[in-house]
Amino acid sequence: MSCQKYSGWLTDAALGELRADCELELLVHAAECDACREALNHAREVHQFIDRGVESLVAGEPSPNFATNLRRRIAQESEPQQPPWMAWAPVAAGALVLALVLAITVAHLQVHSEVNPSVDSAMAPVSVPSEAAKASAASPQIVKRTESKHDPAPGVRARAATTALPEIIVPKGQLSAAVRLSAAIVTGRVDGNQLLAAEQEYGKPLEVKPIEIAPMEIPALDTATEKPANSIQF
Amino acid sequence: MNALAASFPGSAVSHDESLAREFEQRLADCPKLAYRVALGVLHNTAEAEDVAQEAMLRAYRNFHRLRDRERFRGWLVRSTFRLALDRIRSKNRRERHETNAMRTIEGTQREASVESLVASREFEQQVARALDALPEKLRIVMVLAAIKGFNTREVSKLAGLPEGTVKSRLFLARKKMAESLQCLVKNTPVG
Repeated sequence: MSCQKYSGWLTDAALGELRADCELELLVHAAECDACREALNHAREVHQFIDRGVESLVAGEPSPNFATNLRRRIAQESEPQQPPWMAWAPVAAGALVLALVLAITVAHLQVHSEVNPSVDSAMAPVSVPSEAAKASAASPQIVKRTESKHDPAPGVRARAATTALPEIIVPKGQLSAAVRLSAAIVTGRVDGNQLLAAEQEYGKPLEVKPIEIAPMEIPALDTATEKPANSIQF
Repeated sequence: MNALAASFPGSAVSHDESLAREFEQRLADCPKLAYRVALGVLHNTAEAEDVAQEAMLRAYRNFHRLRDRERFRGWLVRSTFRLALDRIRSKNRRERHETNAMRTIEGTQREASVESLVASREFEQQVARALDALPEKLRIVMVLAAIKGFNTREVSKLAGLPEGTVKSRLFLARKKMAESLQCLVKNTPVG
C-alpha cells in the first residue's frame, strides 16, 4: 500500500522537484524497500540519460567559416538593389523591339504595295479582270500586263514597268491573301516556279484503277445427299 | 569591419561604425548559441549552420532595435528556433530524422566500440524523436537547458519566461520524454 503512495513521487524526486519533507520520507522508505529503491534509481537513471542525450544533440560548434560567410551575405545584401520596376525592364525592352520590328514590317509592306501596281488594281475596281482571268475561276493569276490605250493609271503602270514585276489580278475577297503571297514571292520566301509546278501537278487527272474482285469458290453439290461435300454432319 | 560599417543604413558614419562594432561583438559570441538551438531542432549540422546564418542575418537587419545584449540573445534564440521549425516543417520529417540522427552519432562517437555505437545510435534516435514530439514551448526550454553552462535563470532570460515557468516546463518536458524513453532504458515503469 505504501509503495503505491511513493511510486507517484519517484519522477518528482528524480527531477529534484519533490518537496523536502516528502523526499525525506521517500528516502527513508526506499532504504527499507528494495523495489522502491530500485524504481527510484531507475527514474534517476532515465532522466540522466535524457539530459545526456539532449546535450549530445545540441553539442557542436559552427564551422570556422561561419563569420566569414555571414559577412559575405551581409555584404551581398547591402549592395544597392534595383528598384522593383527594373525587373520589368527586359520585358519592356523586348516589347519595344517587337513593336519596332512590326512597325518596320508594316511600313515596308505599305511602301511595297505602293510600288506594286497589283495592289492598286486589286483594291480599285479599275483593273477589271481580263477575259483570261475570268476564265480561270477564283484562283489568282499572275499575268504580264501590256500597256494599252485605255490604261486608267499610266503613272502607276510606268512605275510597275520599271520594277518589272508581274501584275496580279485578284478576285474580290482574296486581296489580303494575294498581297501576302506577292510579298512572299518578291522577298524570295516562296518560290513562284514551284507554286506553278505544283498547280500543274494538281491539275492532272487522277488515274483510276479498277478493283479486281476474285470470284468466290463454291463447293460442288454431292449428288447423293444434295448437300455440299464439306458440309458439317449433325 | 569597414564593410559592415558601410553596409549599415544611416547617414552618420560614426553611428554606423558604432553599430558595426557592436554587431561584431555579437558576431563573436552569439553564432554558437544560434547554431546549437538550430541543431537541437534540426539534428543536422549543415542545416543548423544555414538556419543560424539566416537568424544572424535577420538580427543584423534589426540590430538598431536589438542593441541590448540580453535582448539580442533572446531575440536570436527565439528567431532561430522559429526558423528551424519552419525548415523542418517544409521537409519530410521522418526521412530527415532517420538520416540525420545517424550523422550526429557518426560525428560525435567515432571512437566508440561497435556494440555501444549501435546501442547509442538507437538511443539517440529515440531521444531525438522524443524531443521532437514535445510541444514547442516545452522543446525550446529543453534545448536551451541542454546547452552546457545554461542554468534555469539563463534559460528564463533567453526564452523570455519567468523562472518558475521554465522550471515547470522543464519538469513536464523531462517527464514526457521519460515516458517515451522508459522502455528503451529498462522495461520497468518509471514513477
